[in-house]
Amino acid sequence: MACYDPTLTRRQVLGRGIGLGLTLYASKLLTLDRVLEAAQAQAVPDAPVLVSVFLPGGCDLLGALPPMDQLGKLNDLRRSLAVGDEIPRMPGESRLGVHPALTDGLGGGIAGLFGAGKIGLLPGIDYANPDFSHFHSRHFWERGMVAEAAGPGWMGRWLDRHGSGDNPLQGLSMDSTLSPVLTTAGAPAAAIDDPGDAALSFGGTWGKGADKAAQVWEQLAAVPRAGAGPIAAGRAAALTSQVGRMLSPYASDAKAGTDPLAGPIAYPTGKFAARLRSLAGLIAQPLGIRVATIDAPGDYDTHDDQPTDLDKALRELSQGLSAFQADLEARGVADRVLTFVWSEFGRRPKSNDSVGTDHGTGGIAWVQGTRARGGVLSDVPDLGALGADGNLAVTIDFRRVYASLLEGWMGTDAAEVLPDAATAGRLALVR
Amino acid sequence: MRGHRWSEDHVRRVFWRAGFGATPREASHFARVGKGATLNWLLDGPAHGPQMVGHQPRVKGRRLDPVNEYGHDALWWLDRMVRSQRPLVERLTLFWHDHFATADQDTPLMLRQNHLMRSRGFGSFPGLLNGIMRDPAMQFFLSLADSTKDAPNENFARELMELFALGGGYTETDVREVARALTGWRSVRHGSRSRSIRWSSKDHDPGPKTIFGHTGKYTPRDVIELVTHHPAHAPFLMTKLWAAFTNEELTTSTRRALVDTYRRHDRRIKPVVAEILRHPALYSRLDAPDMIKPPVVLVAGLLRTTGTPITISAYTWLLDQMGQVPFRPPSVAGWDGGTAWLSTNSMRARVTLANQVLAWGDAPLKVPKGAGHLAWNARQHVTAAHDAVGRPWLSAGAHAVLVDVATTFFDDGHPPDRDRADMLQKLLRHLMISGPDAQLH
Repeated sequence: MACYDPTLTRRQVLGRGIGLGLTLYASKLLTLDRVLEAAQAQAVPDAPVLVSVFLPGGCDLLGALPPMDQLGKLNDLRRSLAVGDEIPRMPGESRLGVHPALTDGLGGGIAGLFGAGKIGLLPGIDYANPDFSHFHSRHFWERGMVAEAAGPGWMGRWLDRHGSGDNPLQGLSMDSTLSPVLTTAGAPAAAIDDPGDAALSFGGTWGKGADKAAQVWEQLAAVPRAGAGPIAAGRAAALTSQVGRMLSPYASDAKAGTDPLAGPIAYPTGKFAARLRSLAGLIAQPLGIRVATIDAPGDYDTHDDQPTDLDKALRELSQGLSAFQADLEARGVADRVLTFVWSEFGRRPKSNDSVGTDHGTGGIAWVQGTRARGGVLSDVPDLGALGADGNLAVTIDFRRVYASLLEGWMGTDAAEVLPDAATAGRLALVR
Repeated sequence: MRGHRWSEDHVRRVFWRAGFGATPREASHFARVGKGATLNWLLDGPAHGPQMVGHQPRVKGRRLDPVNEYGHDALWWLDRMVRSQRPLVERLTLFWHDHFATADQDTPLMLRQNHLMRSRGFGSFPGLLNGIMRDPAMQFFLSLADSTKDAPNENFARELMELFALGGGYTETDVREVARALTGWRSVRHGSRSRSIRWSSKDHDPGPKTIFGHTGKYTPRDVIELVTHHPAHAPFLMTKLWAAFTNEELTTSTRRALVDTYRRHDRRIKPVVAEILRHPALYSRLDAPDMIKPPVVLVAGLLRTTGTPITISAYTWLLDQMGQVPFRPPSVAGWDGGTAWLSTNSMRARVTLANQVLAWGDAPLKVPKGAGHLAWNARQHVTAAHDAVGRPWLSAGAHAVLVDVATTFFDDGHPPDRDRADMLQKLLRHLMISGPDAQLH
């Protein structure tokens, strides 16, 4: 292991990054205060944060936001999934109904956030000649391009271009695995299931033995390796201990009753809400989080039993995201966080015989936040103008939304990340 | 012919890729009997003797209850991987579980599907596919049950072609027409809990369908023949099977040879697997393994290579944290493997696994008091630890780091004592089973 000079200045630590700072902390050459000070300075305090929330399976646009001015046509197509005239309307937008589950949660859930002007809806989102495979479509959205080839995700490519070389928390999946949206060519990124349980420990060691263990782990991670698998193993070992050290100041202590990440908002139960709560807490700390991903729970692939499954999924989503938004606002960080909710495709207007719907086009997405541009930002597909295969028209391309997020929110040139940036067009998503 | 000498390294390689690792005793035995006998044992099992060896699993003093106890389904299968004398059968069953990934169904149905994959996994692929198509867990998962002629459900039809048999070379019209040909199964409820399926001719669409350009009054059985005779099928399946055993590139000529073997044996799996296991590519770079162990293989392999029985239920939540719980794949596409296994969170869980087995597991992995001896020199400390954890592969670089630890461990001014010799054993054993090298096979 290399020897570091304990007399390094704060400027030198900054210049060489938080990774070095934490290594020095681990080896007792620097106090935690100094490391955190360095991290704080490195994490630009007002840097915008983009949170991706994925609804896996293909969320049904017409079930989530029934077009009230086309209800007759909708119910002709969906005998087993009829929508009654009594369902709630989107506040201030009489043409759109809203699934009752989306009114559940703090302040009226997703519908309430829309009414407050904090949600910009993107109905009919997809791409030209959509692929009906979950995996192809999802892959295109994850990569930010309609191409089969494997490679880093679109947020990962943004990190490769604009991220730091030594802060894995800049790209954070609240999950046991890293989202393909966040895979990078080189920049570090992290997956965290529970920030209170992120530190590495080596059972059976204590005192100087435990210090030694942490040091040896670093040495093993640094052994030179060749080939994708071995290099990934060494890198994962190094990043994992770094993430553990970075988060150790924020672990809760049940005995002392302290939780440094606690906020003022009560969340619903469940893993999704717990992860959103952790994410809000981490964003509010000077950890340099810039892009984050989280998968919503539930089954949006509603080939059968759609009424039950969609209600359950949208309810948990609405409760979770409304608590998350309130929490960001209460912590005073909401103005620098934009949440983007998406799904890989929409569903067929005509229902099938299993009280469900098959894969279709023209899906649903939205931007959410205090600085999101509220309203309905794309055309609602016309049920009177279905395609030859009975599917909805695509009214906005997801790449146009990505390009607009990169430029309008992250403030960087979309062409650096998206190969189709020049032709994708732009849309105001932020105010 | 060069490079045909069959060594312990060869045995370890093929036992990891086609199973869950070799014990030191297996490595030396199968190195002695040679390549042919080793592969025969893997492919056909022992000529006689029990199917499962070693201690029965017991959690909290009781036998596993895979149907009723949460997580015991995963432990039950893990135990087979640890103790079966047909490790390749279990590994192939895991492959099929990933290939025909099914989730969210009642445990008895999942266990029934698991049995189907285990008993037919080596045989005819059309036979296996036919069984999967009629399997209740799969039918419920992909909405094939209750897909009727009035409004066919496309879910299974699409995944049948995309994920199970072809990968490409079909159209949206094919999806819709196959869905029509597969109508006719209905679900039957038995009380409030269990469901089964039955065939209902009146719900099947008997009309002509056009699939891959052919027209006929196709039935489900016809669909299996159509997809498994589609030109894209054999290359698709051979490519996927190859990648399950090696990261080496599948050359055009090797793929052609595998396709030929598959077709010549009327689409049977075993001759193809045998050919892959014989291929020199499987044994390249024996001194530098380059595949990431899937979490299930990591856990089962650790227990199997050390002869440690399952006595704690922690493996279920540990596997969840690592990203792979048997019977709970994330989607019908199975698990994203390779380097995607190694997120910071799953790597931390792999470290926690070592904490669990060394402190709370059963012998021989659990470190006993008095495991270390003060009289040992550094190499003896390292060798003792290595022997205790089943002699896993260690790179020369990692071995040097560990010898260095053992050399300097007592140089901190404190008088050495037996507790600290034990601590060194715990640390060395931990790093051998949790470090970067332990993730590779």
